[in-house]
Amino acid sequence: MPNQIISFRLNGEVIEIAVSPAEMLLDVLREKMHLTGTKRGCGKGECGACTIIFNGKAMNACLIPAMRAQGADIQTIEGVEGEGGLHPLQQSFIDKGAVQCGFCTPGMIMSAKALLDKNKSPSKDQIREAVGGNICRCTGYVKIEEAVEDAARNLRANAVKGGDL
Amino acid sequence: MSQFEYVGKSVNRRDGVDKTTGRGLFTTDIFLPGMLFAKVLRSPHPHARIVSIDTSEAEKLPGVKAVMTHKNGPKNLFNAAVPMFLTIPQLERVLDQLLFDEIVRHVGDEVAAVAATSEAVAEKALALIKVEYEILPAVFDPLEAMKPEAPELHPGKGCTPEGRNIPAEIVKIPYNDVEKGLAESDVIIEETFELPVVKQVQMETQAAVAQVDGDGNVTVWSTTQTPHPSRAILGKIFDIPAGKIRVLAPPYVGGGFGVRIGLSGKAEPIAMGLALLAKRPVKMIYTRKEDFIASDTRHSGYVTIKLGAKKDGTFQALDMKAVLNTGAFCTFGAELPGVCGAMTLAIYRIPHQRYFGHSVYTNCTSAGAMRGFGNPQGNLAMEQAVDMMAEKLGMDPMELRKKNIMRPGDPWCLPYPCGTSELPECIRQGAESIGWSRRGKLNEPGSVKLRGLGMAVGTHVSNAWPFCVDYDNAYVTIQSDGSAQVASGVPDIGTGTSTSLVQIAAETLGMNMDNVGLTYGDTLGTPFDIGSHASRTCYAAGTAIKAAAADARKQILDYAAGYFNIPAERLEIKKGVIAPMAESLGECSGSGLCQLEEVKEGKGNSVTMEELAYHAHVRNKQFIGVGRIVPENAPPWHACFAEVEVDTRTGQVRVVKLTAAHDVGRAINPMIVEGQIEGGAVQGIGYALSEEITYNDKGRQQQYSMHNYMLPTAEDTPEIHSIIVESHDPTGPFGAKGAGECSLVCPASAIANAVADATGYRFKKIPMTPERVFKALNS
Repeated sequence: MPNQIISFRLNGEVIEIAVSPAEMLLDVLREKMHLTGTKRGCGKGECGACTIIFNGKAMNACLIPAMRAQGADIQTIEGVEGEGGLHPLQQSFIDKGAVQCGFCTPGMIMSAKALLDKNKSPSKDQIREAVGGNICRCTGYVKIEEAVEDAARNLRANAVKGGDL
Repeated sequence: MSQFEYVGKSVNRRDGVDKTTGRGLFTTDIFLPGMLFAKVLRSPHPHARIVSIDTSEAEKLPGVKAVMTHKNGPKNLFNAAVPMFLTIPQLERVLDQLLFDEIVRHVGDEVAAVAATSEAVAEKALALIKVEYEILPAVFDPLEAMKPEAPELHPGKGCTPEGRNIPAEIVKIPYNDVEKGLAESDVIIEETFELPVVKQVQMETQAAVAQVDGDGNVTVWSTTQTPHPSRAILGKIFDIPAGKIRVLAPPYVGGGFGVRIGLSGKAEPIAMGLALLAKRPVKMIYTRKEDFIASDTRHSGYVTIKLGAKKDGTFQALDMKAVLNTGAFCTFGAELPGVCGAMTLAIYRIPHQRYFGHSVYTNCTSAGAMRGFGNPQGNLAMEQAVDMMAEKLGMDPMELRKKNIMRPGDPWCLPYPCGTSELPECIRQGAESIGWSRRGKLNEPGSVKLRGLGMAVGTHVSNAWPFCVDYDNAYVTIQSDGSAQVASGVPDIGTGTSTSLVQIAAETLGMNMDNVGLTYGDTLGTPFDIGSHASRTCYAAGTAIKAAAADARKQILDYAAGYFNIPAERLEIKKGVIAPMAESLGECSGSGLCQLEEVKEGKGNSVTMEELAYHAHVRNKQFIGVGRIVPENAPPWHACFAEVEVDTRTGQVRVVKLTAAHDVGRAINPMIVEGQIEGGAVQGIGYALSEEITYNDKGRQQQYSMHNYMLPTAEDTPEIHSIIVESHDPTGPFGAKGAGECSLVCPASAIANAVADATGYRFKKIPMTPERVFKALNS
């Protein structure tokens, strides 16, 4: 089948790109667009390293056929840092020592962000469930959990300051 | 208040922003103009001879630019791991690998490689390669492989009086008279434990990108833990001078845990060989399955412990034997059995000891280094035997351990002293954290969920000496603006060395960390260093960096002394300002700091590093500190406690809480050390309960993905309490000892002891999967 031009919103900007029906979204992001922040750890949806936020949900980009991105709203790790600097999750991952080799980190942050985007007061179990599909072999998850809790706390504090709550 | 500016502080990691924003580059992210993609055809058979191989159809496929097999590949024998260049002179190094061989020795062994314009084309080409195999008899168990009728894996290698297929030296550690010690013992425990094949499963699979320039210079981006030794190995494989090869991490490596101490599987030579043929850059990334079946695993095998004690619990004799499965190749087959034995013997004061251990070739994926390097295997056997001894003696296992543990200054089998140990304090704090006094009182009669408490203690190394060659070099150059550039050949495989090494340099120099840059993980621009393995990076490379920084500092102060008119020894550098010790800042106008010429005229008594370095620079002088060290060695200590709950209806073991108390010397960066402790703890939980690679009757690995190789997830992680008990080891930088591996030495042993405490059943084989536990409790 020939390539087709698809269009989707990527990190806030609408883009167009030619994709083949056989391609997965991860290949398009990494190999075609060179957005290498989204990592490939297994290519089979087992490790979570390629997690992106797809229409508001954390999903493995290696399992999404590229054609399905047509019209979607997609956020990758490259789109998380705001104009004001690091997102609270990114800052908390650094402050709490939740980063080691860093290969799982982008996917981990995207899974956590999908949770915090909807729920700024998650329980420990909800945090664990949210990152339960993201394998980390370095940290033992302890500091990752702490970082997500810390980020949630900071997001709530910011919301109070900003009058959103 | 701390006497230090940076040492002992949990400063944030320098790679934090790169890694949380997706900006950080890993080998798998490298993309070069004109780059080709490599794919490898792998053996479906565990042992076979390639009778014929026809690549002509593959070569004709549009987009295919190079094909490599045993026919056109390099013919030099090598060892893919660092023993190729770090085997100590007393041992014979084992070179048993070819890039492509006529014989394939495990399922997944390399048969051919293709470089093409895309991975898809390369994969299509693989399907066009015709191979005719002559199947050879295969063997998978090390005890079977030692029998006279077993097939020989590497003809001519490893036929010993002790058995077949023993590739490297048998490690024998005699220590006094073990027979006498056993004869003098009142109680003897003898047990054999069976250890599984497990995998590092670092998140970034083995990968390399190779580029060859027109003059034959080669650049290899690599996931290696050891860029300098890897360069040497590549040089030998291809007969290219090492000086024309650059190996670098780009700068990040997605974990290691021992899997790439040396080459990353064969990613580097495959990429380099194809790049030499195609004259274009080549990228080779292992799929997760390839990583599982074709790069080093942990050694499986059998460890036997015979432990003798007096009635009062005093250990008298330890006779230990290890038969370890090194698989198809002997990457670390000589060194690892040594660590397995020596580290197990080093835990307790036992007057009579003996160790006999070795590797055995089989038709399994080759086994090599994995965090702990043989030590978790030995510890699992020893620490369970200690609990069995306690039970037989009617003693509390903690009291039995406290009575027998090694103390500083005690004689032991190692050629360096047991200099420091805070193990008693680790045990005390760990026991308090887990609530050890509850042991034996946790279960109501008739409970279906049984709780238990277990503990284990252990030690490890702070570098690889005396098991491997071990030394370090580092430069510290002071720039004309007064900032410093440190150069060290170690990569940062995720353990935070690119932060903690800078803490050491800045502390020694008396400079702000922000003014200290680090070049690392790149053979270009760094002097030779072994690399990141053996818990050595902070301890050994840190010692070289401290020496280089001290050298630069001395030169700076000698230079300044002529202007201050006092001996250099009475000057100091603090926060980037040079001033006489214990004197207030000078009295110059403005900033309070002076020009060097003003100091000379007695107008003030402090200058900034920037002023001094520029002053020297315009007078044709740069301060260059060099550190060249051979590290001592020092034992870190670990007391691990676990509480488990065993569901007798399902066989499920749940770790409720795990406490890991560590003596790491001084923690240069406590937050980073805690991360090492917690990560090791969870890997230990996997080792104890779920991780295992088994082989079916066709010699195929049955677990080769994260779908069926059961790694702990966030949802499996119990409460983990990491405790750092600091000691000051005089041999390490600022008192530091190794911290990377000791964390994985004891958790599985503690969990096994906790399961035995809960159920009364002793598992001689791990992992304690629900199936195994259910069967054991219901038979």
